[in-house]
Amino acid sequence: MSNSQYVIFSLGEEEYGINISYAQEIMRVPGQITKLPNMPAYIDGVFNLRGKVIPIIDLKKRFDFAQTERNADNRLLVIDLGNMLVGTIVDDVSEVLMIDEASIENLYSEIAGIGKNCIQGICNMGDRLIVLLDALKMKEEVFQNH
Amino acid sequence: MIALSELNSCKILAEAIADYIPGGITFGYIDGDTIEWVKSSQKFDIELFKVGYKLGADTGTMKTIRENKVIIQDVPRSVYGMRLTIISIPVVNDNGQAVGAMAIVFPKLHPVAASFNDFAPIVTEMFHEGSFMFMTDLTQVAYRQASSKFDMPSIAIGTKISTDDLPYKVIQSKQPMSYDVDETKWGVPIYAACFPLFEDEEKQNIVATLNVILPKVTAHTLREMANNLESGLSGISAAIEELTSSASEIHINEQSLNDSITEIIGITEQINDVSAFIKEIADETKMLGLNAAIEAARAGDAGRGFGVVAEEIRKLSDQSKSTVPKITELTNNIKIKVEEASRKSLSSLSATQEQAAATEEITASLEEISAMSEELAKIAQQL
Repeated sequence: MSNSQYVIFSLGEEEYGINISYAQEIMRVPGQITKLPNMPAYIDGVFNLRGKVIPIIDLKKRFDFAQTERNADNRLLVIDLGNMLVGTIVDDVSEVLMIDEASIENLYSEIAGIGKNCIQGICNMGDRLIVLLDALKMKEEVFQNH
Repeated sequence: MIALSELNSCKILAEAIADYIPGGITFGYIDGDTIEWVKSSQKFDIELFKVGYKLGADTGTMKTIRENKVIIQDVPRSVYGMRLTIISIPVVNDNGQAVGAMAIVFPKLHPVAASFNDFAPIVTEMFHEGSFMFMTDLTQVAYRQASSKFDMPSIAIGTKISTDDLPYKVIQSKQPMSYDVDETKWGVPIYAACFPLFEDEEKQNIVATLNVILPKVTAHTLREMANNLESGLSGISAAIEELTSSASEIHINEQSLNDSITEIIGITEQINDVSAFIKEIADETKMLGLNAAIEAARAGDAGRGFGVVAEEIRKLSDQSKSTVPKITELTNNIKIKVEEASRKSLSSLSATQEQAAATEEITASLEEISAMSEELAKIAQQL
């Protein structure tokens, strides 16, 4: 029985979580994003994070969610994917939550297949369901060709 | 002169015509100094002028006998109680000596006095409030006539004229006079007019006065009402003036109220700016807390205590942020209420303007009515 901390963020109405060990930092969406040619739509571009150039992914675009207007509440969650930093634009980062591993339900492979393979499981907290993402799988998924 | 031999013919003639002389007449024959024969008309008789009465030497008739000539003499009221004209004609014997005199006595009466009892009862009834007429000679009331509606019991036949009375002044001035007397003297307001009556065409010898008194209750009441109306109206005018000044004060207050409301709206906008700033700080604090939590996790067990602090910071930021929508709601409520107040004050502004216009109209109408009541008072004065 072990607990892990998860960074909870939202995409639209849904809450998502990512293990805190992959989280690098949270910041405002930078004003200046440099676009790159021939990039898929979900890659916003790159920006300069204290001397490092890192790509920015719009997760909602990537997950084919309904697009909403960006506002001041949007955050950039910088994820460390093992030697690679990626900035992901999310609607809001709400909290850091201690989650009991036992409360994580694994999805059946059929359903997991629909959502490709980046879903680690669902945390059922009664009144809220948090979709937990597997950062390492997400890296494969995110950067595979669409 | 009359011959003694013709005396009887004269007597017969006198007896025949006596009752046909308008105003009446008295004939008398004086033999020596004593009345020997008298014929009086039914209308006119003199108490003293009776058979057997001895005339005084100073009388006109005795003078006629002494001087043997016709004498026409006006006798004042003081002698026989009324004014008389006496014509004395000497009666002579065959020798041409006057032995007596035929006296023809006419009552001397002003035509108005003579007909007073005929016209006064008719004329006094001609006025809608009634009237009272009387005649005086030079000293007292000689005739009176009341109407069915109005009488002045204190003016009786024989009442002496005092120097304060209108007839006295008319007798002195020989001019017609009139005046209004208020109700304090006679109980009712009256109009009194007095006309002098003269014996002669030249209007030198005043013999009597004719007086007409009209009660003026209606006119007086009317005048009083007009005066009351006027004072009432001036009271209303003053009240309306006050109303106008207070309305303009309300107008000014409403304007400053409106200004204050605009200021309040500006202030709520400033509050919104402040609450936006609070939200900014809360957001920033939250990110700080989250990043601190991430750093603490990275530090492993060593960062655990720091993680608790990070979590508290994050909670604090949530609390701060949750006040923002409350403030916004409050300021929005203020804005709604204030805008409602502004609308209401604007509508009272326009209402006060309408009120000002209405009071102006009222003032104009009042001025008109006031002018009318003045006119009414004038008319009442002339009635």
